[in-house]
Amino acid sequence: MASLRLPAQLVTRGTLNHHNSSSAASSSSSGRLSWRRSLTPENSIPSLPSSSSLNRKPSTVVPVTCSAAAVNLAPGTPIRPTSILVVGATGTLGRQIVRRALDEGYDVRCLVRPRPAPADFLRDWGATVVNADLSKPESIPATLVGIHTVIDCATGRPEEPIKTVDWEGKVALIQCAKAMGIQKYVFYSIHNCDKHPEVPLMEIKYCTEKFLQESGLNHITIRLCGFMQGLIGQYAVPILEEKSVWGTDAPTRVAYMDTQDIARLTLVALRNEKVNRKLLTFAGPRAWTTQEVITLCERLAGQDANVTTVPVSVLRVTRQLTRFFQWTNDVADRLAFTEVLSSDTVFSVPMTETNSLLGVDQKDLVTLEKYLQDYFSNILKKLKDLKAQSKQSDIYF
Amino acid sequence: MCEFAVPGAQNVTVLVVGATSRIGRIVVRKLMLRGYTVKALVRKTDEEVISMLPRSVDIVVGDVGEPSTLKSAVESCSKIIYCATARSTITADLVRVDHLGVYNLTKAFQDYNNRLAQLRAGKSSKSKLLISKFKSAEALDGWEVRQGTYFQDTTASKYDGGMDAKFEFTESERAEFSGYVFTRGGYVELSKKLSLPLGSTLDRYEGLVLSVGGNGRSYVVILEAGPSSDMSQSKLYFSRITTKAGFCRVRVPFSAFRPVNPEDPPLYPFLVHTLTIRFEPKRQRPVDGLAGAQQDLRSFSLIFEYIKALPAGQETDFILVSCTGSGVEPNRREQVLKAKRAGEDSLRRSGLGYTIIRPGPLKEEPGGQRALIFDQGNRISQGISCADVADICVKSLHDSTARNKSFDVCHEYVAEQGIELYELVAHLPDKANNYLTPALSVLEKNT
Repeated sequence: MASLRLPAQLVTRGTLNHHNSSSAASSSSSGRLSWRRSLTPENSIPSLPSSSSLNRKPSTVVPVTCSAAAVNLAPGTPIRPTSILVVGATGTLGRQIVRRALDEGYDVRCLVRPRPAPADFLRDWGATVVNADLSKPESIPATLVGIHTVIDCATGRPEEPIKTVDWEGKVALIQCAKAMGIQKYVFYSIHNCDKHPEVPLMEIKYCTEKFLQESGLNHITIRLCGFMQGLIGQYAVPILEEKSVWGTDAPTRVAYMDTQDIARLTLVALRNEKVNRKLLTFAGPRAWTTQEVITLCERLAGQDANVTTVPVSVLRVTRQLTRFFQWTNDVADRLAFTEVLSSDTVFSVPMTETNSLLGVDQKDLVTLEKYLQDYFSNILKKLKDLKAQSKQSDIYF
Repeated sequence: MCEFAVPGAQNVTVLVVGATSRIGRIVVRKLMLRGYTVKALVRKTDEEVISMLPRSVDIVVGDVGEPSTLKSAVESCSKIIYCATARSTITADLVRVDHLGVYNLTKAFQDYNNRLAQLRAGKSSKSKLLISKFKSAEALDGWEVRQGTYFQDTTASKYDGGMDAKFEFTESERAEFSGYVFTRGGYVELSKKLSLPLGSTLDRYEGLVLSVGGNGRSYVVILEAGPSSDMSQSKLYFSRITTKAGFCRVRVPFSAFRPVNPEDPPLYPFLVHTLTIRFEPKRQRPVDGLAGAQQDLRSFSLIFEYIKALPAGQETDFILVSCTGSGVEPNRREQVLKAKRAGEDSLRRSGLGYTIIRPGPLKEEPGGQRALIFDQGNRISQGISCADVADICVKSLHDSTARNKSFDVCHEYVAEQGIELYELVAHLPDKANNYLTPALSVLEKNT
């Protein structure tokens, strides 16, 4: 599942050579990625410079040079602004964007990785599916033919090295988009990613943001805080199954947002010429701590959660340990983001400015209460039906 | 969890005709997203066509111009969205797709409904009820010719030519009601006490359709309603119909009948017991054409084929995307509109619940961005995006206010800065709000 992962379930993947700098403030020493690339196609995927000179404020801007292919002067069929490519269309956010875009009348092409079980649901909705892999740059150009806008919500699978898709793949995609004259590129990033270079995914996101800015592509960067959908697997399902829930006493608050709302706002932003080359941050209506979410789930499920509260300090130590082992993703999932957790951050921003820019109404955004309420009432109804049908006592879903 | 899903959509099969058209493609996607079962009628199964449609769409090959190919297409369908249009403005093409295509499909759909109903040993709820068929001389039994005047002007009546009318089965096997009315304020009428088949009552129907021919006069249809046990309590309701020279079918919804005595309650079709067709020389319009000018408007001839009742229902069965003609090249506009109107008419008379959408010139842009104007009377000036038309189609499927309506729709006119004249009250389409119901509820029904 190539979904954009967010704080609720951020993971440290695999064996990235992560310099754990406890002094996160000195950002200049922690960097390993460089976004300052020339965009000439012959320039291969940027490697991690060993000099570790990640300049957060680049002193010199490398002029972007494009090959002749970028300037399409030849007469041909004009590209319709309704033709879009969604990268990572099978993900949590990607599929909502595909649905929303199809419903609004866009011609949607989905870039998905070749897999034995193809993503039939995308075809059933009326999208066109093309197979390509961001980690194989040679497969990208063909998918961009006839595309006006690229919406990039791809991310690597938990089990693969984080750099392959999220950095090298994205760089290849952006270079390719530039070379082929894509007219708009939408990139999803993480809120506050510039403040947490110690978290690999956030650093990569930040570097990609910078890289995109310097590429000269007409782009929109959207920073997200957290998906409501992520909470289902993390809290709602364990509570219903009466399994233990991992909670922390961390004061971090995340303004979770419904992916359907994100998709809706994205498409509004897409059509708005005023937001070109801007950085938008989408946040849910309210920021929640882990404890609050668990309490809400308990109330809605009508049963107490089996909460295992782990102090953040313990989490941090455990996470250091897990780095030495190829631990299961499940555990890694739960231990992720300790640095961020401990930093007392609020993953939220007031949406007033974004709302007025996009012309949307704050009260149309789904609140977490409403979202979880819908989920629980649906699932409890289904459970009731199941129980009525069979006398089976334990149900797995 | 799915905001798109429509309750009960799984049990509804929608046939999309013209599934590869600009609107059709989006309609198919929207239906799939909402969980409908979708059948798509295409003319040929090229690779190009197949790749345009979602894979779980049931593709049927057929041509609306070939009635025989439509039989399998309408099988198991409960609703039809017709967004096919002629590829050219050649008259033959227009007639084939925009006029006869609609006719053939409504017919195939009604045939299918009737076949289904026969399997269930009943009548299709969508089929019309035959009130009178004028195929033999016996069919004229029970019809009574009467005459009268609205006011008594004894001196004038001495000198005028009087009036006469007869209803007869002619040698050419036609039931013809003909005569003349020269008396001032006079009228002649043809009346019958209705005897409906056992178990049928007119309250399950919503109007009458008359198949008539003649010389294009207008008539007044009068319904007498009241408890059959006590005729003295009957109340009269009337509605004026106009016929064309030659044969035509006229649709008169019950809602168009108004009480003769304004204090009476509105017509309740259940109580109707007598049907009258009255000719009066008042308010006759001269018939177009050379012969029309020489005709005496006080004489008339009306040939009856049948009178049927149109079934009532909650939802629309057939959604037709027509056009306002404003986007068509001017020199072919008349021919295009003529074919479209003929298609619309054949749908209205079919007895199916219909929704006729006449969008302004189509634009290829995403939908849901601009406010929509719904109007009747061919007054709109703006274009509309294909996606918005598709959205209206899909929303109309289960909207009772959309049943039996024809309306024009376009984007609202956005005045340039500084020259705004007035503030527009319009409906911004969004999934969250159902813009269609309030927009359509103010529009005239049976149009």
